[in-house]
Amino acid sequence: MAELEAKEEISDEDLVARTQGGDPRAFDALVRKYSSRLYGLVYNMTSNHEDTNDLLQDIFSNAYRSIKGFRGKSSFYTWLHTIATNMTINFLKKRSRNYRMSLDDVDSGVQNDPEFIELTSGPDARREVNLKELQQRLNEAMMKLSNDHRAVVTMFDIQGMPHAEIGKILGISEGTVRSRLFYAHRQLQNYLQEFLAA
Amino acid sequence: MNKDVHKLLRIKRYEIPSSDYFERFLDEFHDRQRADLIRRPTLHIFFDRVLSAFPDFQVPRLAYAGVAAAAVLLSATILFTQQQAEPTRSFALNNSPAVDVLPASQVDQRSPLSMSPDLPPHYVLEARPVSYETPYSF
Repeated sequence: MAELEAKEEISDEDLVARTQGGDPRAFDALVRKYSSRLYGLVYNMTSNHEDTNDLLQDIFSNAYRSIKGFRGKSSFYTWLHTIATNMTINFLKKRSRNYRMSLDDVDSGVQNDPEFIELTSGPDARREVNLKELQQRLNEAMMKLSNDHRAVVTMFDIQGMPHAEIGKILGISEGTVRSRLFYAHRQLQNYLQEFLAA
Repeated sequence: MNKDVHKLLRIKRYEIPSSDYFERFLDEFHDRQRADLIRRPTLHIFFDRVLSAFPDFQVPRLAYAGVAAAAVLLSATILFTQQQAEPTRSFALNNSPAVDVLPASQVDQRSPLSMSPDLPPHYVLEARPVSYETPYSF
């Protein structure tokens, strides 16, 4: 299946149909395709690597069990993200307040990111930034947001999804997405004041 | 939208697990699926196999409403049939030959057979003549 994928891009619809027809390798291809993206979604909402790993396993198991009921009314991408978001928000509601952050390493590629360079060494940069410290503060700031606001910020700011797609995944209007983003950004601006340009 | 906050948050894209994590992830997924299968009750596995034998079978959306309506209809029919049977039984009871009712103190003094010598003997079970039982009563 991996070789097949490499030769030609198989559509999600085709992979879903094959999975529904009883081909588990087709679902493996979907796991390979979406695990990285879903990891980003769950990790940025939980700020904990171990929780993310467990949740991601549960999300794919749940999707595999439910895929026979998938009728293609939305894209598979939207359907899978909806499952992931709902399960993550349910998990966060039950998680103890005394959890500890368990953060992944920041990829060294960030040092070459134009936005990072602009923020940290441009003429308007407020201070020299220690990458570990910035990561810690960003995660702390994210965890101060409500689950609903954090979901929107994760999907829009970190994953780059359009408002309409976020609205479909969360089952809310585009206007609500924009309003949640506005309030979340205002909160984050306060928490991250020292890292933002004057 | 606050552009500085947006740019700062974009940096979080670089927080990613080690490169071999996603390769191991699929293996772990397979292991967990096998473990789940062992833990699942046999009945669930049986139903899954039955369903997979008929992949095109789907319970129609209105089937549950149909079943509920049929159950209500069946109950109503049974109740109606019972009510229809009631007057027949009352009629039979009203027209049954009179039976002497004795004070409790005299019950032991007379033989049951000598209560009404003109009438043929009949048997009463829980105050209801056996011969007048309708076949639908239960």
